Order: sequence, then structure tokens, then C-alpha cells
Amino acid sequence: MNLYLCYTVKKELESILAYNGGAIIAMKGKNCVAIAADRRFGIQAQTITCNFQKIFEMGSHLYLSLPGLATDTQTVMEKLRFRLNLYELKENRKIHPKTFASMVSNLLYERRFGPYFVEPIIAGLCPVTYEPFICNMDLIGCISPSNDFVVGGTCSEQLYGMCESLYEPDMEPDDLFETISQALVNACDRDAISGWGAVVHVIEKDKVTVRTIKTRMD
Amino acid sequence: MECLIGIQFKDFALVAADMTTAQSIMVMKNGTDFVVSDEQKIHKMSDKLIMAVSGESGDTTQFSEYIGKNIQLYKMRNGYELSPKAAALFTRRNLADYLRSRTPYFVNLLMAGYDDNTGPELYFIDYLASCVKVPYAAHGYGGFFSLSILDRYYKHDLTEEEAYILMKRCVREIHKRLIVNLPNFKIQKVSKEGIKELEPITAKNLATEDADKA
Amino acid sequence: MSSVLVPEIPAPGFSFDLCQRNNFLVKKGFQAPKAVKTGTTIAGVVYKDGVVLGGDTRSTENTIVADKNCSKIHYLTENIYCCGAGTAADTEMTTMISSQLELHHLNTNRIVPVCTANAMIKQLLFRYQGNIGAALILGGVDLDGPHLYCIYPHGSSDRHLYTSMGTGSLAAMAVFESRWKPDMTEEEAKELVADAIRAGVFNDLASGSNVDLCVIRKGSVDYLRPYDIANVKGQRNISYRYKRGTTAVLNKIVHPIIIEGETVRRLETEPMDTSS
Repeated sequence: MNLYLCYTVKKELESILAYNGGAIIAMKGKNCVAIAADRRFGIQAQTITCNFQKIFEMGSHLYLSLPGLATDTQTVMEKLRFRLNLYELKENRKIHPKTFASMVSNLLYERRFGPYFVEPIIAGLCPVTYEPFICNMDLIGCISPSNDFVVGGTCSEQLYGMCESLYEPDMEPDDLFETISQALVNACDRDAISGWGAVVHVIEKDKVTVRTIKTRMD
Repeated sequence: MECLIGIQFKDFALVAADMTTAQSIMVMKNGTDFVVSDEQKIHKMSDKLIMAVSGESGDTTQFSEYIGKNIQLYKMRNGYELSPKAAALFTRRNLADYLRSRTPYFVNLLMAGYDDNTGPELYFIDYLASCVKVPYAAHGYGGFFSLSILDRYYKHDLTEEEAYILMKRCVREIHKRLIVNLPNFKIQKVSKEGIKELEPITAKNLATEDADKA
Repeated sequence: MSSVLVPEIPAPGFSFDLCQRNNFLVKKGFQAPKAVKTGTTIAGVVYKDGVVLGGDTRSTENTIVADKNCSKIHYLTENIYCCGAGTAADTEMTTMISSQLELHHLNTNRIVPVCTANAMIKQLLFRYQGNIGAALILGGVDLDGPHLYCIYPHGSSDRHLYTSMGTGSLAAMAVFESRWKPDMTEEEAKELVADAIRAGVFNDLASGSNVDLCVIRKGSVDYLRPYDIANVKGQRNISYRYKRGTTAVLNKIVHPIIIEGETVRRLETEPMDTSS
């Protein structure tokens, strides 16, 4: 018993990124993308709430998630929303996910020497061609776009493992949902500080489907 | 060491805060002398909004006054009040900005308010300025005990009396299990009618209640 | 403070406002997270009439492979490219100096000399005293012929005929030392650099995946990505796909995105009015 306790305490103190906990995935499918997150908000081992919002809608086809320290998640999201609104007012058009990624990267790199503790994940469709786009970043804004999936949060090791074995290219929206959900749910089972409910967004050209899914609550 | 508890129900929200003033390892005052009014941890922000604050002793007063006065100023300038949500986000942003300044505030907050459109709301803000809307929450070591009580007994549609009993359960558990001495809790209720002070839950009251039962 | 109606536009450049808070958190015993490093093999050689640059495509975050196919050869100008090793974001942002090189090109109206790019980058890196962790191999062809530079994070640089950098530089250099010779042909040079990168990919744990090459000659550039897929992921024999309906859905909301009519206006090109 004690051994387990020691281990968790050590694990939590490992990184500031693991202060609040959380797990995020985004995946590409055929003409669609999906992004999923768990719903726990905790302060180290103490769970505060199970309906915390970690995925933010930044446009009709553009979704952003900021796993990491919750206060920075909220601050960075507010700052980005400001920059995004200004961009869309100035340019009078919808932002391309790739452009938005640069915007996020710029904001983070500005604080190269005193970073925000978030590792953003962006998923969306191009507003003109509806081409899928996903990418993730490290906490100082190094973009790595991906052709298959990106993961983030405290159980990224587990998520990588699930995704590497489950992912197939060109999945239909329903299959994509199944794959991303199972990857998230099973990865969270091996992480003490994420899970407690999950929400999955599947983004297609004509609709966005938001599902909350059943997970273990322990 | 301090303890704040907040619970939101269908028609109202309850906030409890201990009445202990401690400095280092010494208790200066714990609310037993009712001569002095202990308006120190729960602050009135506006007619239907209260904020419970714990943390560094100077920061708590300073920060809550700053936020309180700004919320009042907003009302005077614009002719309407900030909703509880807006007030919570305003507070969060200020706390986050101060955290990045040379003079950070070390405060943990619970904000409870009544929105005429959406009903009662409770917000949990920690010293790092993470803000979440919650049905119930607690700050401090007391949270470890009271949260599990709330997980078990919380129901959305409790009446004021039932809610008060629930709050007493939490306080009893803190008295029983927590090593720190927090005998008295001040309770406030926010509802459509505004802010109402409920009778404090004190060790003395609970003891008499136990005696009556026996 | 941000309580004013319109937040002020922040000053450009690096912002240090989070440093104090982060130091406070580190002091409390939290370990500050690490940025993505490109534990890398990058290399370059000068051959008879140009430069060949090469890089692997793995980026790592501690022991985790953060990206299996990232691009480490960055564009600077039409005639200059640059390989980056070190902190991934830094190499990416340092090569944003390409905008200034482009301005230099437009101002002077001539091909940008490679030494100019070298000077600008090393001045930038020196200014930050090694805090910007970018180790670069800069290669290009200008009026004086091919050039190859090695730039270190603290702002020093050397000129070489062949060089390698990153964690796999030793493996790559071993290949160069045994097989490099002056005045190679393009094919020889490409194969040599590819072999040097492969040496890194297979012998250095922080380098991996594919080999990218960039051949710069006078007047033309070949950006070969990938030049060689050194590691092919095994084929999965069966599909592990979950059946639809496996996941228990608690609730489902569909937000339709309704496009109310779409008008495409074609612009007819009118001939220029030259009547008057």
C-alpha cells in the first residue's frame, strides 16, 4: 500500500505539467478530424471536478486543447481568443488551422525563457478546402504537424502506445470516434491523474459531433 | 490550515469559512468572542455575490478588497452588475496577472453568487488562478474530509435546512479528523433574495446538539 | 492590468514576465518541463559544384519520440539552407532570419552571400549567450562558390568542407573521415551524406527514422524529403479496429454547420482598355 502511495507522490512532483493532470488526443480520419480529452480537474491527487473543459472551440471547424497547468490553459486560451478575434476582424475571413498553429507558436515562443506550462494540440479542417489538419507543440511552441495522430498530457506514453497500435489511415467518422475513444479510455486507465469522464469531438465538413463517453471513475 | 467550503444547490449556494485567525503556530482568535464581528474570510462583493478567501494573511484582505471595489466600480460605471461568472473570470484574470508580476497574491478563493437568469453558481479559484465552476468545493486541509462527505450526501435539490445539516456533517468530520483546531465556522447563503447570514456552526452548538440527542 | 476595456498591445520580442512565477514553482519542488530537443544527426559536405546537406527526422522529448518525421533542413534563401540541432523551437525560430535575408536580397539586388547569413545568425545567437539552444549547419552556394558553416549555440562558427552536428555527429563524422575526398561528384556526395546520416540513425538512439537531403548547386536546389526511408514500420497483419458501438456514449450532441447558400463569382479577365 505504502509503496503505491510513495510512487504517486513522486510522479506528481515530477513536473509542473502534471500538477492538474489531463490527457488529450487528436486524430485524422477521412475528410474528418477528431479531438478528445478527459474531464478531470484536480490539484495533484485531489479531484476538484469532473466536468472541466479542456477543448475549446476556436472556430466552426477549429478546435484547440491546452493540456498542462490549468491556470495557463485558461490564460493562454483567453490570449489566443483575443488574437484570433483580432485576426478575423482584420482579415475578414476564417483562419486556417495552420495559420492558427503559427499564432499559438508565436505566443508561446515569446515566452521562451519563462514559458507557459501548456503543450497545445490543434485539430481542424481548412475553412476553404476542408482538408484535415492536426498538430501538437511543446511548451515553447515548436510545431510538429502530423499525418496520423497527436497526443498530449500526463499519460502521453500510454496514449502513444494505444494510438500506434489502433490507428489506421482513412477512417470514417464513426470508426474514428471508436478508435480515438478507446485509445483515450484505455490509456487513462493507467494514469492516476487523468480520466473521470471524457469528451470526444468529431469534426466533419457539415457537422461537429460532441459525445461524452462513459469511463471508469476511479 | 484554513478551511473554506462552498456548496451550490438548485435555488441557493452556501459558503462556510472557519473563523480562526492564526499566526504561525498560534491561534490569535477563533471566533468564540462574538463581541468583535468576524467579517474576515467571507467578503460581500455585491448584493448577490460573496467571496470566501484563504491564504497569506495580508494578501487575502488586500486582494478581496481590490476585487470587491472594482466590482462595485463596474456597477457604477455601467449601471448593471457583473454576473457571477463574469466576476469570477475577472477575479481569475487579475489573480493570473498579479501572479506574473513582482507582487503576486497568494490567495485561494470560492465565489458564490446568484445570477437572475441562470440561478446560483459557485466558482473555485486556486492561488495559481485556475478557475472552475463546481457544484461543491473546498479549500485547505478540511477539503480532504468534507469533499468525501459531499460526494456521498450532496443532492442538487436540498432545502435550506437540509443543506445546513449537510454543512454540519462536513464540519463535524473536520472536528473529528483534522489535527488542526478549527472550532467555529461562519455560514452565508446566497439566493434570489440576496445574502443571508446563517447561524454559525460552532463546536459549542454541535456539542449541545449531541447532548440533546443523547 | 487587463481590466481596461481594450488590453494594450504587448511589446514585441521575448517576454520574461513568467520567469519569476516559474522560479517560484521550481523552488517549491516541481520540476520544470523540458522542451522538445532534436537529438539529431545533421551533416553537410562540399562537393565539386555545390553543397549537400542532410538530416535525420526524429525529434525527442526525453526518451519519447515526439515526432517520427520532422523536417530539420530549413529554408533560408533560394541559395542557402540550414540544418538545425538542439532545442527544436529554437532552430525553427532562428531560421526565421530568412525574412531578413530576403530583405537583404531585395535591398542589394544580388544573391545573398552565405557569409552574410552566417554573420546574422551568429550575431543573434551570441546576443543570447547560448540561451537559444540552436546548433546549425549552414550551407549554400553564392557567387564565390559553395560554402559550408557550422554554427554553435554560443555564437561561434567554423568553415568546413565536411561537417556534422548533433548527438549523432560522432557516428556521422566517422563516415566522413574514412570516405570523404575532395571534388566528389554529386552522386558520390549524396551517397556519402546519406551514409553519414544512416550511421547516426542506426548508432545514435536520439536520431532515427528517415534521411532527408538537400542538394544546393549554382542556380538550383533539390530538396529530397525523404531521400531514403531508412526504417519502414512493419505491416499490421490484422486490423485492431474496434467495432462501432463499443464505446458507451453518455450523450451525443450534433452541431450542424449549415452553409446557407454558396456563391462563386468568377472574375472574367477584361482586356485592358487602350482605346484612348
